[in-house]
Amino acid sequence: MTDDNRRASKGRRYPKLYEKLVPIALVVILVAIAVLLIVAVAVALGLFTGN
Amino acid sequence: MNIVLTLLPFASCIISFVFAFLVFKRYLARRGPHLLLWGIGMVMYGIGGFCEAFYGIFGWNPLVFRLWYLFGAMLVAAWLGQGTVYLLAKRKWANILMIILGVASVYGAIRVFGAQLDPTMMSSSLHTGSELSGRAITSGGVRILTPFFNLYGTVTLVGGAAYSIWIFWRKRILLHRVIGNIFIAIGALLPAFGGTFSRFGIGGALYISELLGAILLFIGFIRATTPMDESRE
Repeated sequence: MTDDNRRASKGRRYPKLYEKLVPIALVVILVAIAVLLIVAVAVALGLFTGN
Repeated sequence: MNIVLTLLPFASCIISFVFAFLVFKRYLARRGPHLLLWGIGMVMYGIGGFCEAFYGIFGWNPLVFRLWYLFGAMLVAAWLGQGTVYLLAKRKWANILMIILGVASVYGAIRVFGAQLDPTMMSSSLHTGSELSGRAITSGGVRILTPFFNLYGTVTLVGGAAYSIWIFWRKRILLHRVIGNIFIAIGALLPAFGGTFSRFGIGGALYISELLGAILLFIGFIRATTPMDESRE
């Protein structure tokens, strides 16, 4: 990571497509984690049966 | 025997073992406990797939069911996630969590292999892919362990991938790792959602999600470990 950080520059950008897609993917992933955590808590509380 | 619902987990099994082989190969070349743990995790993924394929052909028997439950349902996510912990956390904390996970895994194995099973569920008269669950375990205090392992696995594996994406994206570096981690995060999420859908009786959801999960994890690993010329993308 240290070497990678040194290589980073302030004005650096990803290609346009990724500049748009990456934050969307990140939000989707975070929302999905939140949903799964809620389900896991529900399972632990016995609200769902199954595994 | 349902051909599709047997072939899907078998394909997951093959992909997982090939993936595990490549990760172990990389571990031998580069070392790093994260690679060892990811390799172990993918072997567990493969065992889970193998057991499901076995179930599709022959039905459950107690040993295969216990192996499936222990590796495929209980431990796989947590061990994969522990690999990510070693990659991202301080070694001291990673070691502490590893000890806790190791002890908890041994305890889980003892409980799963010591559990009473419902003999009427050790057959495959109905095989839709939605009936895979731990309901056959009739002993108390076993199934309640599983969400805790999976919670830990999801938070560490998917959360770790999301954290890496954020760090690299913020600095606009290592695009291949950003893309790789997106695949890894989605690949890890899919079986978790497949399991949830399976709980609601959606036939085959778990098998399809496990297969797609194995493929995406594989692609993500290859992408994350293969630098790309970012200017050409």
